[in-house]
Amino acid sequence: MSPVDGAGTSSPDLPVDQAVTEGRVPGRREEEVPELHEVDCPPQLRERIEELMSRYPDRRSASIPALWAVQERYGWCTPEGIRQAAAVMRFTPAYLESVASFYDLLHTEPVGTHRVEVCTNISCWMRGADDLLAAFEAVAEGDDDVFVTGFECLGACDIAPMAAIGQRYYGPLEAAEAQTAIDQLKAGEEVLPEKALARRGLAGDAPSPGGAG
Amino acid sequence: MSGKEVTIVVDGREIVASEGEMLHDAARKGDVEIPVFCYEPKLGDPVGACRMCLVEIEGIPKLQTSCSTPVRDGMVVHTRTEQVKHAQSAVVEFLLVNHPLDCPVCDKGGECPLQDITQGWGPGQSRVIDEKRHFPKPIELSPLVAIDRERCILCYRCVRFSQEIAEDEQLQLLERGDRTFVGTFDERPYVAPFHGNITDICPVGALTNYTYRFRARPWDIEQAGSVCTLCPSQCNVSFTVRDEKVKRVITRDNHEVDDGWICDRGRYGFEMFDAEERVCGPRLRGGETGWETAIESAAEGLRAAGGRVAAIVGDASNEEGYLVQRLLREALGSPHVDSRPSRGASREQIVRLAQPGLAAKVSDIDGADMVLVLGTDPLHSSPILDLRVRKAIRRNGAKLAVATERPTALDGGAEAIARYAPGEAAHFVAELASALGGAENVATPLADAVREAGDGASPAKVVVIWGERLARDGATDSLLALADALGLAATEGAGLLEIPDTTNARGLREAGCLPDAGPGLAEPNRAFGSQYDSKAQLDGKGTEEIREALESGELEGLVLFGVDPLRDFPDTPAWEAALTAANHLVVFSTFETATTAKADVVFPLETHAEKDGTVTHPDGRLQRVRPSAGRPDEVRSNIQVLAELSAALGHDTGIDSQPSAFAALRDAVPFYADIDDIGGQGIRWQETPAANAVPADDSASGSERAVGPGSPDTQRESAS
Amino acid sequence: MPHELEKRVLLAHAEDPALRTLEGYRRLASGYATQEKAYRELEQDEILKELEDSGLRGRGGAGFSMGKKASFLPRGDMAKYLCCNADESEPGAFKDRELMQRNPHQLIEGIAIAALAADAGHAFIFIRGEYAEQADILDAAVAEAYEAGYLGTNILGCHRDLELVVHRGAGAYICGEETALLDALEGKRGNPRLKPPFPAVQGLYGGPTLINNVETLSNVPHIVRHGAEWFKGFGTEQSPGTKVVSVSGGVRRPGNYEIELGIPTRELIYDLAGGPEPGHEIKAFYPGGSSSPVLTAAEGLDLPYSFEAMAEAGSMLGSGSIIVADDRVSIPHMALRTARFYHHESCGKCAPCREGTNWTVKMLERVVRGEATPMDLDIISSVQENIMGHCLCVLGDSMAMPVSAMVNKFREEFERVIEDAALDPHLVVQAPPETLGASV
Ligand SMILES: Cc1cc2nc3c(=O)[nH]c(=O)nc-3n(C[C@H](O)[C@H](O)[C@H](O)COP(=O)(O)O)c2cc1C
Ligand code: SF4
Ligand code: FES
Repeated sequence: MSPVDGAGTSSPDLPVDQAVTEGRVPGRREEEVPELHEVDCPPQLRERIEELMSRYPDRRSASIPALWAVQERYGWCTPEGIRQAAAVMRFTPAYLESVASFYDLLHTEPVGTHRVEVCTNISCWMRGADDLLAAFEAVAEGDDDVFVTGFECLGACDIAPMAAIGQRYYGPLEAAEAQTAIDQLKAGEEVLPEKALARRGLAGDAPSPGGAG
Repeated sequence: MSGKEVTIVVDGREIVASEGEMLHDAARKGDVEIPVFCYEPKLGDPVGACRMCLVEIEGIPKLQTSCSTPVRDGMVVHTRTEQVKHAQSAVVEFLLVNHPLDCPVCDKGGECPLQDITQGWGPGQSRVIDEKRHFPKPIELSPLVAIDRERCILCYRCVRFSQEIAEDEQLQLLERGDRTFVGTFDERPYVAPFHGNITDICPVGALTNYTYRFRARPWDIEQAGSVCTLCPSQCNVSFTVRDEKVKRVITRDNHEVDDGWICDRGRYGFEMFDAEERVCGPRLRGGETGWETAIESAAEGLRAAGGRVAAIVGDASNEEGYLVQRLLREALGSPHVDSRPSRGASREQIVRLAQPGLAAKVSDIDGADMVLVLGTDPLHSSPILDLRVRKAIRRNGAKLAVATERPTALDGGAEAIARYAPGEAAHFVAELASALGGAENVATPLADAVREAGDGASPAKVVVIWGERLARDGATDSLLALADALGLAATEGAGLLEIPDTTNARGLREAGCLPDAGPGLAEPNRAFGSQYDSKAQLDGKGTEEIREALESGELEGLVLFGVDPLRDFPDTPAWEAALTAANHLVVFSTFETATTAKADVVFPLETHAEKDGTVTHPDGRLQRVRPSAGRPDEVRSNIQVLAELSAALGHDTGIDSQPSAFAALRDAVPFYADIDDIGGQGIRWQETPAANAVPADDSASGSERAVGPGSPDTQRESAS
Repeated sequence: MPHELEKRVLLAHAEDPALRTLEGYRRLASGYATQEKAYRELEQDEILKELEDSGLRGRGGAGFSMGKKASFLPRGDMAKYLCCNADESEPGAFKDRELMQRNPHQLIEGIAIAALAADAGHAFIFIRGEYAEQADILDAAVAEAYEAGYLGTNILGCHRDLELVVHRGAGAYICGEETALLDALEGKRGNPRLKPPFPAVQGLYGGPTLINNVETLSNVPHIVRHGAEWFKGFGTEQSPGTKVVSVSGGVRRPGNYEIELGIPTRELIYDLAGGPEPGHEIKAFYPGGSSSPVLTAAEGLDLPYSFEAMAEAGSMLGSGSIIVADDRVSIPHMALRTARFYHHESCGKCAPCREGTNWTVKMLERVVRGEATPMDLDIISSVQENIMGHCLCVLGDSMAMPVSAMVNKFREEFERVIEDAALDPHLVVQAPPETLGASV
């Protein structure tokens, strides 16, 4: 006979015996959620995530902001960083990785901290995005600090061909400007000031190139 | 689902369905098969992802997914129009764009929904000539489950199981679009108590069992429906058998028992059937021997002990338990039979607990307002109930309260949790009963949680899931008082559900494997009339007393049936001594153990995949254990062996087969009288007319019942 | 000086950087006066009526009446939510970016008033993660608005509360689909949900939720301030109001132009956006973002730019984004870029979209590599048919519509490209052969 309570079950090494938990989140087997002391989450990161959770009626809503925070802290969503966020949020790391991997701006693989996203979508493509991307890639070649990638429409077809350089928009860009842009980005200088979207006026107020307006 | 009846028309057929029911399910009632991949009601709400089940509903321009469309009265539906056929074949074609079509080498081949639906609803030939997506071919998702991501059709089933059923949230979808794949965090193994179920629900060959890979093809296997008796859950399973051997264990949905899931122990435990240690023939003092010699020597030794023998029964069917206790009581004239690790509830208490009105059935958990877990952790003791309780909380908003010595896997979902010190169970349950009566004490917070459950209007439906060790800790009377305080007997859908220590505990008790009760929980003297005269003989010894009596020499012989005291019982040294002291030790065992090593005679036992018989679920459901696999050559039917042994002892019962054994059992157990054709889903004896034949609770009625100091009733008086 | 074809209502004073600040917004546009009026004097139903009467149609793509949608929300004291859809990720669309960058307070005021109409206590701006610059601007503006008591608890002493959170996405076009947006906002993968239930009934956290586009909500203060009649004074009967139109691609002055709906498309493209480069002709254009079936110049240039006219022509106004392809653009290559976008952005939840976009891309790649036959063009068309109407959301259709339009309207060009590419593989990589010189 196999008394299955107290006295211990008859076939010991089966997963059934593995669940032990002090959990408090309705649903979910808490043993899958790392404890804070297991992950030594940097205090700033922890406070940041807790602040983010407090903004929403449901703390799950803070998943994406929390992953942003992890990425800012570590350069990408490292497994360790994800486990730290999971411990603070009381979710499984698997859940957060699943979320992170869905979104293009959250990186679950190592990438350079200086990022350039070159738009290769329709309007930019018509205006030479492929050459522009090639130029940036050439400059970034072999430089682990710089991450260059082609990207879908960034919502700035008016300055095609354009790129997001360090989370700011620039265009219209020429292939020749790639080197300068990346140098400035790495040096922490202002990137191609005259090409910054922020500096532009309304299209309708621009001097008309020929006739109309 | 409101349950109100509505009438819909599908392909011209009138179908009566219940309002809110999904169109797909309603159509099936009218034998209209609508193909599905992602839809699996067991997993909760539909996701409408695969789009396979699109149908035309009059009045709605776009095709609708029948898996997620609740039926409305008067709905007119078409599942065979050109438009629908076109959509269905389009979806199949899409699903095959990235599917490798490696059916010849796929374990799922021949039993694959994707294959079948492609045949039935897909386009004739493929128009896809482009490269398919590539993943490393099958890799370890866990030590037991392989995943082949190229075959995955992203139906969401397995990840929904992890999220919605097991609630471990370990199995996830990663990446996006057609790059999406199923995986775990950081590619770590998926370790969880129920994870094998994903291999059953995967509609393609993406998730397969390492224990089964390449072991068999659908055309050289048979499916044999039976019951897993590795724990008291008694889940319904189907053994996949090839060449008389079990190759795989899969679920056999029984909503009343397992809800269509089994634990990994039940699924993968079968490999022990042909383990090295298997006892494959009779043994005489360590050496192999023939059956005749074995039976003779066993009988001789027992006869020599002259009635100073005892028997302990463990993993056994109702029939086997019944025959063992007859062997003892009739052939050997000894009352010393037990089926429990140690003395628990008295006969009178067991009778009170057995009153049909107090009993909750497994499916009552679904509709409960409150589930109260007392002195047990279902995940360890009856795993499938852990899932059932989670389902009640997640889907039906049931509340949960837990009172145990140690943390349980369910704590996470509990409204209230109480921990009592070891040995304090009886006291705590009594306190809880009185707290429900209004008294202020340690159990009050828990009592409040229990009281607040339910709509307040009708009495809350409370299902109390309690562990047998409460009885061993002397908490039975308090438990009964608690039942009174909760008005369980009076409330439909409420009641007590025991999680016993052993796998067929209820069946063995009811078959008479108790020191103080015969078959049908009858008093031994009623059961066996004149043959007992002295009080001493009337009152048999329980497991612990048997041990002591063996040590002291008061008892000389011992029959162990499917139990290993050295492993299963506390106080191993004492048992070492007792077994050594025994003059004659007869052991029925499936495996070689430290105990069989000490035995004079060892008889091989059939496994639950080999034996023929019945078991009784803790909620009173009699279920059929069917012989599914062949036994090793030298192993005989347990029932036959018991018959021969009894005959050798000069008591020929003439019972040597399962049918005759069950017939005798049914005659001996009045409340089993109506159990006839048990069938695949089992029968709860409480739901048969003979239920009223259960011995009456002749103790004082609840309200005056005294449970000693701190009695809820006295407290209630003083409170009012 | 803006061209007389421009009617700047939403973009009024947008050229002035001061408009970004609360002070500037108050001074230049008498900002928040309308919210004060609404909170102090107007009933929920009065606002709803004004919005419904104005005929304001959603500017996010579907073009559904904003007032009607707001009135669908059930009454009662359950928690209700308002979500501003600022995910703007459809190729060709960049108007919301301009509105948020130049006039964030107009949006916030619109949200505050719409929240009153929807009786929502919690509002969110879901802004695509790429718009970091605009999100920073919004954060600053929201802080100012809290500071000044236009947001928060007991707003303007009227015993109404409104929490507004700027929520940054993380790069997924599908999150613009309203139910995917809700999942993303709930911290999940941005997968669309089954409808029904519709968000108005059961949306964010299961509560009634009003979801509107940035431009739609930016219109609200103006309508409530000047009244429905005033609003209907602009545009056509079925497309009242002004519209900020993003024009890009083969034009000399790409950018956002706010016009009265219904003006001739030709004027919009030629007089405002400067028309094609000298010596070139317009070959085709997407009238309403990359999801809209392309129109040939002949079909489309002389249509009034309105919801109804575009629908009649078998296309749509969508989010109001025109992408112009001039005579140098290879339509098959443009079809491939379009398909690639939707393939990349498909969430993967439903089979027809996930596999249909993937398969279409592979076939179009064979087309431009010259490894296809005319029969593949038939398969491409039939696959688009198989996608349309069969998906969980309309992302799949959003690829199928333009791609099938291109294959059907430019079939000869597809066949020619197959032949040419077969002869000269170099063409494959670079197309159009010479790219347009950047203007502006
Ligand atoms: C794939 C897809 C992407 C969408 N993207 C956006 C978007 O970026 N911004 C937006 O406002 N609406 C978008 N929509 C439309 C929204 O689903 C919704 O209709 C709109 O936000 C409602 O706001 P409105 O009525 O003010 O237009 C998208 C729809 C789909 C199917
Ligand atoms: S692995 Fe199987 S169950 Fe899981 S998503 Fe793929 S096809 Fe469905
Ligand atoms: S079964 Fe209905 S969509 Fe999958």
